[in-house]
Amino acid sequence: MDLLGIALAILGAAMAAGWAGAGSAIGVGIAGESGAGVMTEDPGKFGLVLLLQALPGTQGIYGLLIAFFAILKVGLLGGGAEISVNVWQGLAIFFACLPIAVGGYFSAIAQGKTSAACIQMIAKRPEETGKAVILPAMVETYAVLSLLMSIILLNGISL
Amino acid sequence: MAVAKLKKAEFYIYKSDIDGVLSALQNTGSYEVVPFSSDSGPEVSALIHPDFQRVESLLGETRFLLRFLEPHFSDPVSGIARAMGEKDDLSLEEGKALDAKTDLKAIAEDVRKLERRLMEIRSEVTQLDSIEQLLTSLHGFPYPLELITSGTDHIHGALGTIPADQTEQWKRGAASILGMMGEYYTVPASEKEKDQIVALFYDDSVSGEALELNARHSFNRIEIPPALKGKVEEELAAIAEKKERLAEEEKLILEKAAKSAEGLVPTIRSLSDFYSVLKDKYLTLSSARSTEQVVMLRGWIPEDSVAEVRRELSIYDSSIELILSDPAEGDEPPSNIVNPSWCLPFENLTRLYGAPKYGELDPTPFLAPFFFIFFGMCLGDAGYGLIMIGFFVWFLRKFKKMPTAFSHFFKLFVLSGISTVIVGALTGSWFGDLVDAFGIFSFLRPLKNAPVLLNPMENPMVFLGISLALGVVQLMFGLGIAFYDALRKKNYMGAFADTGGWIVFLVGLLIWGGLAAGVVPAGAGAIGKVFTIAGALVLVATQGREKTGLVSKAVSGLLSLYGVTSYLGDVLSYSRLLALGLATSAVGVIINMLAGLAGGVPYVGWILAVVLIIGGHIFSIAVNVLGAFVHSLRLQYVEFFSKFYTGGGKIFAPLTYNTNYVRIKKENQDQ
Repeated sequence: MDLLGIALAILGAAMAAGWAGAGSAIGVGIAGESGAGVMTEDPGKFGLVLLLQALPGTQGIYGLLIAFFAILKVGLLGGGAEISVNVWQGLAIFFACLPIAVGGYFSAIAQGKTSAACIQMIAKRPEETGKAVILPAMVETYAVLSLLMSIILLNGISL
Repeated sequence: MAVAKLKKAEFYIYKSDIDGVLSALQNTGSYEVVPFSSDSGPEVSALIHPDFQRVESLLGETRFLLRFLEPHFSDPVSGIARAMGEKDDLSLEEGKALDAKTDLKAIAEDVRKLERRLMEIRSEVTQLDSIEQLLTSLHGFPYPLELITSGTDHIHGALGTIPADQTEQWKRGAASILGMMGEYYTVPASEKEKDQIVALFYDDSVSGEALELNARHSFNRIEIPPALKGKVEEELAAIAEKKERLAEEEKLILEKAAKSAEGLVPTIRSLSDFYSVLKDKYLTLSSARSTEQVVMLRGWIPEDSVAEVRRELSIYDSSIELILSDPAEGDEPPSNIVNPSWCLPFENLTRLYGAPKYGELDPTPFLAPFFFIFFGMCLGDAGYGLIMIGFFVWFLRKFKKMPTAFSHFFKLFVLSGISTVIVGALTGSWFGDLVDAFGIFSFLRPLKNAPVLLNPMENPMVFLGISLALGVVQLMFGLGIAFYDALRKKNYMGAFADTGGWIVFLVGLLIWGGLAAGVVPAGAGAIGKVFTIAGALVLVATQGREKTGLVSKAVSGLLSLYGVTSYLGDVLSYSRLLALGLATSAVGVIINMLAGLAGGVPYVGWILAVVLIIGGHIFSIAVNVLGAFVHSLRLQYVEFFSKFYTGGGKIFAPLTYNTNYVRIKKENQDQ
């Protein structure tokens, strides 16, 4: 019984890191394709393009964060004392990981598309970089909210 | 307040003095010329300075020269340093002397010759490369190429490819047709090749059959340049020799380019800037109107600079007339943002969003304290803050002459670092939990623990409450500004009905909510209810005032209350302060944990741990500073500005010295 609880917690951690990371990879990839196109014309924009390409990368970090929180909670890291996790607690940890897994995956892709469009925008109007950075950040809000909910839920589970 | 007052300034200048007056105006950098609107009079326009054509074409030459020569120039000042203001000084007299001394056209002609020859060489080399490749594939071909390219009186040759699997068939066919009247040849090829190179030499008398044979086996003719006559090996040697000669010549040209770059680039850069300064000056004339004798300019001068402009122009007193007036209805004056020094670093944030319109409020001083706090909360690690401060202070000291826009931006990061250190110290986060995670730092623990008020990792809900409360404060502040702004513009309906209604309604709801949560004494509950109802009544009564008909007025009024959800969303948006702050410390904790695990590896563990700590925290700083900046900024732009600020103004852009490579020394006429 105990092992199933731990396994469920690990499933949650794996989903959080895996899906959010996959979303970030896709998002950063989309933005990168657009950035490479812009840089063939003007390699001097590398700095700005890199900045915008990095924006959809945060979801992967948020996912990793929740994964660490989850496995810390069940005592898999740091060689601390064994913590017993029953199935229901394991399931709760699994559910708590879902917001950032799902929200992170989809928001990173959407943010990647926005970043790609904004990279095109600064190709024509480099003076509007400020605005170009804000638009992808609008999408990221929902990843931050997912992260927040995952943190609060994990925090609320008592073992 | 912070958008400075401008005066509309009209100049009437005698034509003979126009150049001097424009130079003086450019020197003050306080006059923005605007074009006359097209319908304001029939006078002659499109004035072109006699020197304009020359300067423009020379400017084009400098651009060409710099494009060609700069790659060969090793610059003693790096590009970053130049952008940060490390430029040489140049006075306009020096520029003029340089202009007179340098025969730019001749230099450009020489360099153009070099460039043309370089291009010819490169295209020739490409051509030779492709022939060389073709000949290499014919390696061992025993006949002189002349046989194929021109043939003899009776014998013709055809060289081409056929599909490899038809080779044997083709050979049999060739043997039977030609007999004694010609020869065939197949170039030895590896098994894998799909195509086989073959050659057929035939007498005139069998040319019909020979061509038909080739056509039957999908023969694809290879064209050989007619200049090739000898054996393949001889021709290859000739090509190699020719390529060597060309490479030598190219090297010579490049050396020459590098040498002339060394001598010329600094001069051409100075000239390029000098010409663009002249061009800017001449271009203002295209916005002017003129009669036979007099040129008219219209534009804007900041009120504070009027005296300075008058002083600069005093020597032309007899020949110019300056008429100053206040901006009139329908004018669109640009915005000259002027801020006190304490919030100057934050001015960039306003500019990023868009400058305020003339006569509107400048939001810089309002957003400054909030951005300061929010950035600190989003990053929230004292160690990272210290590194930010150190890095940007070093940068500011290294490049003392950097343009103010840059230096303000870096000062903004220094301030943000200070705020981060404060928040980090209060929450006990120094490079994550570095002090607690490693025993060797244990002596620092009491120091670290002394100022700690709250650990967000243990008490996230309290930190969330603080974040949302700050959100409420900023939103209310924003509404307050909108209220004041409406009063200032004497828009009483906007002040009391729109903004005022919302303020009363929201304050009422807050008190009511506080009562439910038990943080407000019961006695205040009644006040809350009264406020809520009063605010709601005002909103319902007034928000439909532009509609006609009682029913649609009432419906619009009621629907407007639905806007409360957007305020709810705005407040919840501030929860990112908690989430990002937690994310930073958690990433730091994870890095330390990984380093701790790595430290357990025998012998090399401590090296791994140090590498992980340094590299990991640098990565974490980069990612989290970007996140903290973007999200603190978003809270200003989306949640705060939407309450009172629209932007959309045009920045005051006076005629001045805009340069890339040198700094034009201002002339002071008193000296």
